[in-house]
Amino acid sequence: MQPARSRARREALFGYAMIALSLVVVFVFTAAPIVGSFVLALFKWDAISSPQFIGLDNFEALLQDKTITHSLLVTAGLAVMIVFLQVALGLWLALLVARRASAIVRNLFRAAFFLPMLASAASISIVMTYVFNDHFGVINYYLGALHLPTVPWLSSAGGATATIVLVAVWQQLGFTFILFVAALGSLPQDVLEAAQIDGASSARLFRQIKLPLISPTVLFACTVGLINTMQLFDQPYVMTKGGPGEATYTTVLVVYQTAFQNLQFGYASAMSVLLFAVLLVITAVQFTVSRKWVFYS
Amino acid sequence: MSTNLFTEPLSRRGLLKAGAASAVLAGLTGCSSNSASPSGPKTLNVAVFTDQASANKLTKAAGTFEAAHPGVKVKFTGTTGTDWNDFFSKLLTQIAAGNAPDIAAVATEGLQLFAAKELAEPLDDYVKRDASELKSYFADVHPALVEAMMYQGHLYELPSDFNAGNMFYSTSLLSSVGVERPADNWTKDDFYDIARKVSAKGNNVVGWNWVVRLWGSWTSWMYANGGNLLTEGKYDGGDWLWNTFYPNDPAAAGRKGGWQWGDPTANSTPVVEALDFMIQLQKEGLSPTPDVGGGGTLQGLFASNKIGMAIGGGFWAGGLHNAGMAPGSFDVQYFPKWKSQRHLFGAGGYGILKSSKNKDLAWEFLKTLVTPKNMDLLSPGNVTTFPRKSMMTAQRYASTGPKNWQVFYDTLTKFDDTAPIPAPPYYNAMAIALNKRTTQAMSTGDAKSALDGLQSDLESAAKTS
Repeated sequence: MQPARSRARREALFGYAMIALSLVVVFVFTAAPIVGSFVLALFKWDAISSPQFIGLDNFEALLQDKTITHSLLVTAGLAVMIVFLQVALGLWLALLVARRASAIVRNLFRAAFFLPMLASAASISIVMTYVFNDHFGVINYYLGALHLPTVPWLSSAGGATATIVLVAVWQQLGFTFILFVAALGSLPQDVLEAAQIDGASSARLFRQIKLPLISPTVLFACTVGLINTMQLFDQPYVMTKGGPGEATYTTVLVVYQTAFQNLQFGYASAMSVLLFAVLLVITAVQFTVSRKWVFYS
Repeated sequence: MSTNLFTEPLSRRGLLKAGAASAVLAGLTGCSSNSASPSGPKTLNVAVFTDQASANKLTKAAGTFEAAHPGVKVKFTGTTGTDWNDFFSKLLTQIAAGNAPDIAAVATEGLQLFAAKELAEPLDDYVKRDASELKSYFADVHPALVEAMMYQGHLYELPSDFNAGNMFYSTSLLSSVGVERPADNWTKDDFYDIARKVSAKGNNVVGWNWVVRLWGSWTSWMYANGGNLLTEGKYDGGDWLWNTFYPNDPAAAGRKGGWQWGDPTANSTPVVEALDFMIQLQKEGLSPTPDVGGGGTLQGLFASNKIGMAIGGGFWAGGLHNAGMAPGSFDVQYFPKWKSQRHLFGAGGYGILKSSKNKDLAWEFLKTLVTPKNMDLLSPGNVTTFPRKSMMTAQRYASTGPKNWQVFYDTLTKFDDTAPIPAPPYYNAMAIALNKRTTQAMSTGDAKSALDGLQSDLESAAKTS
């Protein structure tokens, strides 16, 4: 018994040694900053002077802050539009590719749709700023050449919102597309064939067989998409600076400016805690509601 | 006796040893990045607002200093950003992380921010000590620029460059509508008339274009209309400087211890009128929607001869030349008169960080940076206006233009109410609010509502700071 226990302990120690580096990385770069944010939210700190403990004052100030409330609404609006389009378009494209294309074409499409995801959001946003520029952007250039009215893409509230949504959807579409291609590819063929033999139309096959079977993937895409887009930063920071006015002023942009430009690190941490709470609630609601429509076979 | 990690199980002692070794290694690595032997060479770290490739070229300006101080190296580190507030936020983060440079390039925009946070060292004692050495420098520099570098009676920087908001114009576009050159005392109406005629040419040509920022934006119209975003005042003090270096200079009369920016006045009538004018120009198609940021894109557009007029300072001369414009294809005039012909300006300089362990050495280096030779090395090719009037010569502008280069410096002497941009200690929050509310006004067409919002933003920022 003794040698066996000792051996098990040695194996366990070896296991811990193997994951020690990962644990350190997770602790230093994820866990510690999270805990730090919660603690910092109770302080007033400009990163230069000594931090001053102020209890819940930052959270009280948040309740009066119209900017953060507005930014949460803006972010939620953008997130809903982006996630809806990403999921709907990703699923539609995956269905098209799965149904009609050969393996080569399927792989080609997979690569093509996934490619934008490999570029950094910041560099894509810089390019898109030029593409959508009101005055000399390529889109307005062609609209003008076709004698169509030009669009104030980045200088009107509606235009800027639409542009941010378009760019974010275009860049992230590959993720949902790949998810749905994989989900559709793993559907049980016998069930599909049985439905087809029973005379189910394509629409009915999709609505009553495929969609329920891939509903866990839909839930995953919605959840991950929502969490990501609620943290939208690169596109509005680079393309619109949150404008015009506050039309694309997302919460993370407000947090960044509050912390790193206004040097209110405590208050920015309180904002982050608020965003964390909002995301937690949204995700919990998603999972609760999902019990009614997600089918786990 | 060696152990093989992959074939032999790890003992608890072994694990602890490995952990301790890792910690020591990490500690050593951490130390090595910042260590310097006390007897080894000293390095003066200088933070500048540019890319690293350009920063490397600045080392030429340290040649004489390094030769005079054996064992001392000067290292310029470039940091990029969309505008000064972006640069300052990165620099402040660097300082907060305990990695402060000895010297930092800080323009008017950030002078009070750094001084109020007690990050910058006042230069008073150094300047008093080396007064005789600095007499020729101050005799050559307009007192308005020196006053802009003061805060609460103390001098924080020696101006090394400046730019006043003048009006650049395309000579060919203005000539094509029958205007050879606007008069020195031209008015807002003259400007409007020219902008209308140039825009009527079509083919994507506009009479006027601008960028959203604090310097050289619609804020120039605000100054000309007698308005400001903040109440203007002056700090007491500074007599020691004025009495020492400018005792009989009429341009120094009334100068005090730096600009004191008081309560916000962002929704006052002259300010609203100025922004309304921008909206009017956009609605009438005389100007496109402005970009937010430093103005690099605007210079590029101007160089493509699609813009009749744009606000620019001396730095535009080199910028337009580098963008391919030939001397003679553009020129510069004073900003037009509205209620007055008051101009705004921003000045640049280098400040010593309070945290520096080499302050005396840093001061010796700062003095060398304001010599004509080093100013030339720091800003080659007319990419700024020099604060030393003796450096403003026809020969300097012969290869780049503009023909009327005297406008750059004469703005200070001709219009004695010319003042720095309003940059209080909460400049970063102000810049964000100004950009946000300006774009709001331009997209909604409602200047008053946007400026009411700006007023509220500035009140909140002033209170928080």
